[in-house]
Amino acid sequence: MEILTGLMQGFAVALEPMNLFWCFIGVFFGTVVGVLPGLGPSATVALLLPLTMQMNPTAGLIMLAGIYYGAKYGGSTTAILLNVPGESSSVVTCIDGFEMARRGRAGPALGMAAISSFVAGTFGVLLLMLVAPPVAEFALRFGPPEYFALMALGLSMVVLLAGRSMIKALLAMLVGLWLATIGIDLFTDGARYTFEQIELMDGVDFVVVAIGVFAIGEVLANLSVQTSGQMFPVPKGLRNLLPNWQDLKDSRFALVNGSIVGFFVGVLPGAGSTIASFVSYGLEKAVSRHPEKFGTGVVEGVAAPEAANNSETGGALVPLLTLGIPGSATTAILLAALILWGLRPGPLLIQDNPQMFWGLVASMYIGNVMLLILNLPLVPLFAQILRLPGYVLYPVILGISIVGVYSLDQRLFDIWLVGGFGLLGFLMRRLDYPSAPLILGLVLGDLMENAVRQSLMMSNGDISILYSRPLAATMLLLTAAILAGPLFRQVNNWRVKAMEQEA
Amino acid sequence: MRFKPMASFGAAVVAAFMVAAPAAAFQPDRPIEVMVHSGPGAGNDVFAREVIKVLTEIKAVPQNMQVVNKTGGGGLVAMSYLNEKKGETHLVAVFTSVWWVNPMIRKEGKVTMKDLTPIARLILEPAVMAVRSDSAYKTAKDFFEAAKKSPGKLKQSGGSISGRDNTTRALLQKAAGAEWQFISMKSGGERVAALLGGHVDMMIMEPSEALEQIRAGKVRVIATLMDKRIVSVPDVSTIREQGYDVPEVPQARGFVGPPGMPSEVRTYWEGVFSKMHKSKEWQAEVKKNHYVDGFLIGAPLNKFVDEYAVTMRGILQVAGVKIVR
Repeated sequence: MEILTGLMQGFAVALEPMNLFWCFIGVFFGTVVGVLPGLGPSATVALLLPLTMQMNPTAGLIMLAGIYYGAKYGGSTTAILLNVPGESSSVVTCIDGFEMARRGRAGPALGMAAISSFVAGTFGVLLLMLVAPPVAEFALRFGPPEYFALMALGLSMVVLLAGRSMIKALLAMLVGLWLATIGIDLFTDGARYTFEQIELMDGVDFVVVAIGVFAIGEVLANLSVQTSGQMFPVPKGLRNLLPNWQDLKDSRFALVNGSIVGFFVGVLPGAGSTIASFVSYGLEKAVSRHPEKFGTGVVEGVAAPEAANNSETGGALVPLLTLGIPGSATTAILLAALILWGLRPGPLLIQDNPQMFWGLVASMYIGNVMLLILNLPLVPLFAQILRLPGYVLYPVILGISIVGVYSLDQRLFDIWLVGGFGLLGFLMRRLDYPSAPLILGLVLGDLMENAVRQSLMMSNGDISILYSRPLAATMLLLTAAILAGPLFRQVNNWRVKAMEQEA
Repeated sequence: MRFKPMASFGAAVVAAFMVAAPAAAFQPDRPIEVMVHSGPGAGNDVFAREVIKVLTEIKAVPQNMQVVNKTGGGGLVAMSYLNEKKGETHLVAVFTSVWWVNPMIRKEGKVTMKDLTPIARLILEPAVMAVRSDSAYKTAKDFFEAAKKSPGKLKQSGGSISGRDNTTRALLQKAAGAEWQFISMKSGGERVAALLGGHVDMMIMEPSEALEQIRAGKVRVIATLMDKRIVSVPDVSTIREQGYDVPEVPQARGFVGPPGMPSEVRTYWEGVFSKMHKSKEWQAEVKKNHYVDGFLIGAPLNKFVDEYAVTMRGILQVAGVKIVR
């Protein structure tokens, strides 16, 4: 009942013309920066923060949050069409999304991305509204051992991301793990593999690697084989440009899985949307009846990660609003905004400012609808990009990749770096190494290393801390099950073969 | 040889001109960059934005001021960027104690505070020892005694080992004769979450971080790490009052300019910050954020820059951080 009156109040606030206007501005800018690689929601929120100083806090928060969740919608566009992840969280979308585009199904992929973003985004707000305080308490039970187990679970996804060769996938993952060690070590303050270069002290930016390996690698690989004229087939007619009934049916579990995984990973201050999308993609593949088709352009492979990274936004707002703890770069800026507006972010924020909280929640329902209306009609339009011949498209991809990377920190160094990773991506394609495990290793390596070292410091070197706590143990068991999967299948294959031979 | 008196006469004339028309000589005629070495949302970034907000409200600067985040290398990127902008008049940067510490502990950090033009120190940020509100430790003494009983078993969450929370830990350990673990965590959010979740036993926080948690009954402060009690938690005794001889290590924040900033420009900025310091708007911000007013300009500031370097070096040595220069 309390929730209902709160929500009514919230809609009254969110439906005020000015608040509706700011909500639209937010989601619109969010979509735009989402589409552009490199420039992410956190940079945009920071850029527009001074503008909100003259606004009332509720309107300001509505707009800034709009940028945050709007960017997640846009991130999939270049991932699907050009194999360029628009946001860090859309790397996983590249895997099946780009394959769908290659098979002439760019429209359904984009449409499915928008629909799953909408469903999961709304689901995330729903949970934010209903269960924020208890979930925040639950998230606090995650200490270093639990994070270690979560990262182990994430890393085990490598067996699901592997293509034809498990050895090659593991090697790619190891390279990713090594890349993650570059930079200043948190615990000793010592520099690793930085060669006294200031540019390397914060490590290699994950976006640089992703754009290099995926986008530039793809372009180089395509240029090395003679292709002429149009790249991919683009079917005519609106009907073929949107997901059909079968696509929606195939994705129904992916939507549920992505929504739930995304929200709960989002709540954890030490994890993020990239991990959420990897885990939900892995789970989707693990329970699929046709896991072998993943990576060849299945619609669930787009729906699951896109759902996860949108539901993650609602989750990430939970610790911010209920505990005053930011869990991501963007929520850290939102926290700063709250302080600058003169509010006091902390456990009592919602109690002190119920109007703001409910206004935000209501505006997020509205914003998600706006985003769906904004994004679906763009699908046929964006899909036309693929009609461009290679000699136009490739330079465009290279251009937006370089601009995107440069916009991160305005450093020339990153452009050299992205070129280097482009070559690596090209070689990996040539030698048939999968690129997703490399990204997985890079994203998780740092977090996992920190978690294991923190755990062992907590226990004075006693390794049992990693598996003796119930939550951690559960996740490790799940990890073991995932790792055992392929082995089990292999044994089964041998058994079947042996039986055939006997017969 | 004959020209030497002439040269010094010329210099004297120039100097006389500079003294004659100080404030009127420089007025910003384009937007001003306020550089911050950390990303948007971090403590320094919020501080810079607060200063800009007040300067805009009191109309102290006739031009727009915008925050520029030059992140990387824990502040080194920002310091070398500022160093390259020699003579630039429309650029100021926020300094914190890492501007002293970095060149001492990093080979890559070749720029020191002495190379730059310190303009004004604005605030000192005190630190407090905080525990979860249901913890058994009511005072710092309780915590130290428990740590003595089981050495290395208690845990503190914090940032990097060259950060203030670890250097302060080293000083506390020495004064109390106790030992406990320091668990480095990347973000401030993770550190507070680890304390609230009971994964660690204590955290050294800034009052602005702690106060909302105190108000919600989640966290208790067991000692303040300043020589005087702080206004925001007046009932909590200082570490010295509890009988431990620990020097205060406040975080200092203020503004610094590029090398070779013309003296009339420095004078201009000193005037701007003096005006801000006197305004009731700024005093309200100081109160709201639980800062301690630490306004300092001119010769006293220069003295502080030297002394702080000596202090930080001593503390780093106690903390066992490797010093390279």
